[in-house]
Amino acid sequence: MGTEISPKVDPSRVIEHETYELEGVDISGHWNRMFEQRVIFDYDVEQLDRVTALGGGESMGYCYQCAQCIAVCPVDHVGDYGPRKIYRKLQVGMDFFTSDDLWLCTTCGNCLRVCPKEVDMLQIIPAVRKEAVLEGTVPPELQDVFEKTARYGNPLGKNSKRRHAWTKGLDVEVPIIADLDRKVDVLWWVSDYPSYHPRGMEASRSLARVLTKLGIDFAILGAEERHDGDSMLRAGEQGLFEMLADQNIETLNKYEFDVLLTTDPHAYNAFLNEYPARGGEYNVEHYSTFLAGRIEELGLSENIGSKVTFHDPCYLGRQNGVYDEPRELIEALPGVELVEMWRIRQNGYCCGGGGGGMWLDGFAADNQNMRLSEKRVLEAVETGADTLCVVCPYEVSRFEDAVKSTNNDEALVVRDISELLAQAMGLATG
Amino acid sequence: MRSDRVVVVGAGPAGLEAARLAAELGSPVTLIEKRDVAGGMPIHSDYAALTHHFRSASGAMAEMIDAVTSNHLIDIRTGTEITAVDGAAGEFSVTLSANGSTEDIDAGAVILATGFQHFDPGRETQQYQYYEYADVITIAEAEKMLKDENFVTPSTGKPPERVAFIQCVGSRDRQIGNEYCSKVCCGISSKQAIEIREMVPAARVFIFYIDMRMYGYWENEIYWPAQEQHKVNYVKGIITEILSKNGRLVVRGEDTTMGRPMEVEMDMVILAVGMEPSQGTRAMADVLSLPTNKYGFIDTDHDILDTVTTTVPGVYVAGAATGPADLDDSISSAGAAAAKAVSMLRSATVTV
Repeated sequence: MGTEISPKVDPSRVIEHETYELEGVDISGHWNRMFEQRVIFDYDVEQLDRVTALGGGESMGYCYQCAQCIAVCPVDHVGDYGPRKIYRKLQVGMDFFTSDDLWLCTTCGNCLRVCPKEVDMLQIIPAVRKEAVLEGTVPPELQDVFEKTARYGNPLGKNSKRRHAWTKGLDVEVPIIADLDRKVDVLWWVSDYPSYHPRGMEASRSLARVLTKLGIDFAILGAEERHDGDSMLRAGEQGLFEMLADQNIETLNKYEFDVLLTTDPHAYNAFLNEYPARGGEYNVEHYSTFLAGRIEELGLSENIGSKVTFHDPCYLGRQNGVYDEPRELIEALPGVELVEMWRIRQNGYCCGGGGGGMWLDGFAADNQNMRLSEKRVLEAVETGADTLCVVCPYEVSRFEDAVKSTNNDEALVVRDISELLAQAMGLATG
Repeated sequence: MRSDRVVVVGAGPAGLEAARLAAELGSPVTLIEKRDVAGGMPIHSDYAALTHHFRSASGAMAEMIDAVTSNHLIDIRTGTEITAVDGAAGEFSVTLSANGSTEDIDAGAVILATGFQHFDPGRETQQYQYYEYADVITIAEAEKMLKDENFVTPSTGKPPERVAFIQCVGSRDRQIGNEYCSKVCCGISSKQAIEIREMVPAARVFIFYIDMRMYGYWENEIYWPAQEQHKVNYVKGIITEILSKNGRLVVRGEDTTMGRPMEVEMDMVILAVGMEPSQGTRAMADVLSLPTNKYGFIDTDHDILDTVTTTVPGVYVAGAATGPADLDDSISSAGAAAAKAVSMLRSATVTV
């Protein structure tokens, strides 16, 4: 092999700007290559073989460099990363298992949608990360979240006893199913951020009011609810996912209910696609589809007077095919005009929170020139909308932070669909 | 009944050549064509110049049609379909259907030249918004505009300033199910790019590709002149999607050798659609119980030394019915099929 990269330069800290001018000199493009060895002295294809030997990693070897993935990879637009580039780097000997590239994928799945060779990053990334987790080469901030989730049952490291603290003092009753000691029609799986995050809690209170107004017989698990595990699985912590899934299935087995209602598309995905293999089969519904089926009963009468754009969550839309129902709800809001962003539905741009991205914010900042959520907020502002409507609890906080960091506080507010519905129903929000 | 007649199915380039040669070798021929006119895809789809010699398609096909109509041994039946084939090699009974009436004819051998159809880019995926954007067209549609010498942006009727070709549409794709390379599209796009540059000199033309497959003389006859004399711009990196922004088409992809994502405005996008088995090829495979490959093209017996003999004795296949083929290949395989059919009929014993 050739000379080593100078230890004075940590390539992971070098940020490439697509266009950049320094003291009047245009240094756009791959100027950071100057810090790396120029000549390729070998093709150490063993690194590619290591990936394709993994269960789930096989299709990494199928890439024929058409590069369709790059145009739809959300990360490549804010950094130099994409599936077909991973393949080339593996050919020239990148150790993917210890590479920063391993942690940039948000498992949004848009590359697989357009890939003519069906290179499946949704399988490849978790398979390689699983090995990195076993080796202990996980970015510290994500490792911290793994440990918190294992210990407390939620990635925020909050006390499980306070999981339903958001219901305290609420103007409607939110029963705990263990207290009811009977079957309910709907068991609402609230999830972590709607239980603990201030903005998530506001959305939860709105949804509780909407469900109550509809006369739905519902209850929550309260302190017995844990993280669903889906994002842990995508982030490579398969063991943690299995532990959580088995605990959750055991908890759910204790109670009788017809519908398992989820707030979080990631939980929805887990219950729909991952839990059945472990013996947990439920009639699971996302709250957007649940409410869209009851539009007439909602009694939407208050004028909202707003121009709204909608962000498709990857794990509701692209992964599970739900695109229309959230839009039906928005269009049913009085005085609301729905304006669409550039990349929507199957081609929806990722918020950056999936696949562990929720807990890699600092890491992403080191490797990208912008957060994905910031890129998306700029697209939302471009539509002329005053409201960005979301139906995924990862997004309220991500997008609100992005609205601030891109100086769009005056232009755009971020609201959960349940908050907009509660307002239109004349109910209290917040 | 034993017959020395050769029935050729399909009057495109391969069928016309097979019929011409079989008759020239002395066999009576019935040439069946489903459409009302002979000439196959080059006529039906209004091809302009042929790839790779830039000869007028209508001129070349007229010459081929003249060669069969002037031969008294050849009976051409247009507007006719085959509904059944009974019997065995040397003594087939072929049922023809035309204008609601049927007729049985005797034949010793059958040559299938039922060809291909263009991939429909709106059918499997809306990736390129082909059904949505008027200015996204296929190379087949571009041929007609070039033939009419009126190459304009469909939505405005004005000559385009920027034209993009996207290669490999409907080919080399596991998701669509067409895993094969369609062979001719790289050459056809480059040929059309040259024609566009000659017809609309102000237009800038870009070809976005994965690999340019310009084998043999196509390299020096088409690819190099396109780049060197006609200033066609080749960019390695396929377009992922076409979006509309501020009323203009935006092609999005990656410029792979620069390693940078790319979003470029275009007036027109031409999709280099590949080949699929034609309806006629599929129908004849059913009628003759011929095995097809997973893509629906007719399987030959896979001997590299025999590209035209099928697994059904007395039945031969030529042209793009067996898989993607250019004109040179189609004419060559048609000659081989005609020679083998006539030779089989003249041999003392027929192996069944």
